Amino acid sequence: MKKDVLFTVPSYFREDMKIMGFRFGKGEKSCVVLGALRGDEVQQLYVCARLVSFLREVERDGGILPGKSVMVVPTAIGHSMNVGTRLWAPENMDINRRFPGDEEGSTTARIAAALFDKLRLYHYGIQLTSFYQPGSFIPHVRMMDTGKQNPDLGCEFGLPYVYVRTPRSYDQTTLNYNWQLAGMQAYSLYAGKTSEIDENAAERTLRAIIRFLNGRGIIRSEYSPGHNSTVITNDDIITVSAGSAGLLRRVKLAGAHVRRGEQLAFIINPLDGSVREVLKTPSTGMLFFVQDGPFISEHSPVFQVLAGHS
Amino acid sequence: MAVIKEITSIGSVVMPIEERWTIRRCRYAPEGGGKGRLCIATGIHGDEMMGQLIVYGVAKRIMAQPQHLHGTVDIYPMLNALGLDIGERMEPSSTLLDMNRSFPGTPDGTAMEAMCYHIVQDMLGADLVLDIHASTNNKSELYEVRMNANDAKTMLEHARCLCPELIWIYPDKISFSASLTSTLCEMGTPALILEADERRRRPQDISEHVVEGIFCKMRDMGIWTGDTVNPPKSLSEIPTIHNPEDVRRVTCEHPGIYVPMDRIGGIVREGELLGVVIDALEGEALEEISAPCDGLVFSQRSYSAVYPGTLIARLYRKERT
Repeated sequence: MKKDVLFTVPSYFREDMKIMGFRFGKGEKSCVVLGALRGDEVQQLYVCARLVSFLREVERDGGILPGKSVMVVPTAIGHSMNVGTRLWAPENMDINRRFPGDEEGSTTARIAAALFDKLRLYHYGIQLTSFYQPGSFIPHVRMMDTGKQNPDLGCEFGLPYVYVRTPRSYDQTTLNYNWQLAGMQAYSLYAGKTSEIDENAAERTLRAIIRFLNGRGIIRSEYSPGHNSTVITNDDIITVSAGSAGLLRRVKLAGAHVRRGEQLAFIINPLDGSVREVLKTPSTGMLFFVQDGPFISEHSPVFQVLAGHS
Repeated sequence: MAVIKEITSIGSVVMPIEERWTIRRCRYAPEGGGKGRLCIATGIHGDEMMGQLIVYGVAKRIMAQPQHLHGTVDIYPMLNALGLDIGERMEPSSTLLDMNRSFPGTPDGTAMEAMCYHIVQDMLGADLVLDIHASTNNKSELYEVRMNANDAKTMLEHARCLCPELIWIYPDKISFSASLTSTLCEMGTPALILEADERRRRPQDISEHVVEGIFCKMRDMGIWTGDTVNPPKSLSEIPTIHNPEDVRRVTCEHPGIYVPMDRIGGIVREGELLGVVIDALEGEALEEISAPCDGLVFSQRSYSAVYPGTLIARLYRKERT
């Protein structure tokens, strides 16, 4: 294992922030795995840390195949993680809205440019990312429909679903989108939680990455068989939103199989405990996403149901 | 003729505990409605306050001279009220997100996405929408009008009548991707960004300048018949950034505390000092930052902590001669 400093952000009264990459094997740049780009992506950091630990043992046992190399970057925003801010605090900017970056630009643009420049020659790019709402997903692989995506390869993670999503205008500045435009096979892995560690989801995500690395002939190690993945799109997802606001008491969690009309959650008046709304599923299927904050505002999506899947 | 003043909620979301997040619009229109509609939006970033003073100035003048109003002026004084309350640029109802990268929104999305949808629906069909910003923290700007190159052909003439100190045409679409103005332009409603910061000794000065520009534009639209300043006769009288080469971005390379010279709005010569980055621990000046070329300083960082890459100033290079 080699430790590379991919980029250094000098600081004034704090220590410099070094973005570390852990490199395994020698030869072609086969696969890069990137963890936290936001200061609250603790689960993403944790999965990467576990992966570094695992690959260290694989390398020691000669399991990195000749001519292949893997890079793991657990976090690009350690300073924000240390002080509990989601965004890069000095600029209040989201690094994952700054790609492909600008090496002469602002600090976040420079971080994005350095990451993009150092990692874009890898063949496969795996980003462990978080959703823009607090909540839990069924672990899945996600890629944007740029015309360059390859969902079949995404199936090699062995997760139940490969989600090909139509990009929105703000996606053009994300890492995944720009990796794909640069010719990489880019995947986003949703690893359950964000700001806390979910051991089960972390384990599933870690196994998926190990499965992919074995399947692509990059490492040789023991790995568990995965699912026969199903490729889904936006059209397969039905959103259940809150019609009222209050405390959210969930009855069903991500991964639950639900029948049409089944109760999913109660929205409770936070002052007197009365039930303001009972959320029910409009379709039989699997709960793909569940909002997990204690409060819910009117209109907010609470569940995503994968219709027809069980 | 009397002016009808009407305050309306254009979007409202119930929050968990006994509160609504409501976006309010104040409409000024002559009896019978008149002709033409101008929308003025502010506070899409919760930490930008300049628009408040500007729309206050617009409203005061309309009510002082109601006989001159011949069309509709819709004022949206604070789009991101939750951000304002905590001094936050982003919209804080969920994870922190930039409201101005979330348009056109959707009625069945998050609270913020629903609000973005309602804002767009309410503004669609206006003759012009002005979205007032106040730069970012610790940065001063001249009074600028900004637009995408895609929209420049139709929007430049609007910009001239607003009498800005500078026009900036962004070459790439990504800069304004999913913003309010780009969304409206794509949907056929002309929209412009106005930048003017409040971090001056007297924010009234720049506010009055922008208010004058808005009334000048209202006169051009036929909405206002009262006295206003005359707009520049031609666009060539307004410094205009057409290409990236017209701007010289000056950054620092050392972390520390930046101590600026007062250069905003002035012409500097190459080599002239813009400011110094200091290290209070060592008692040293780490970096003297000088103008890399002659130019008009239209952005300037104020006294603040800086990192390598922090923007110190922007120079408009066409002023070299």
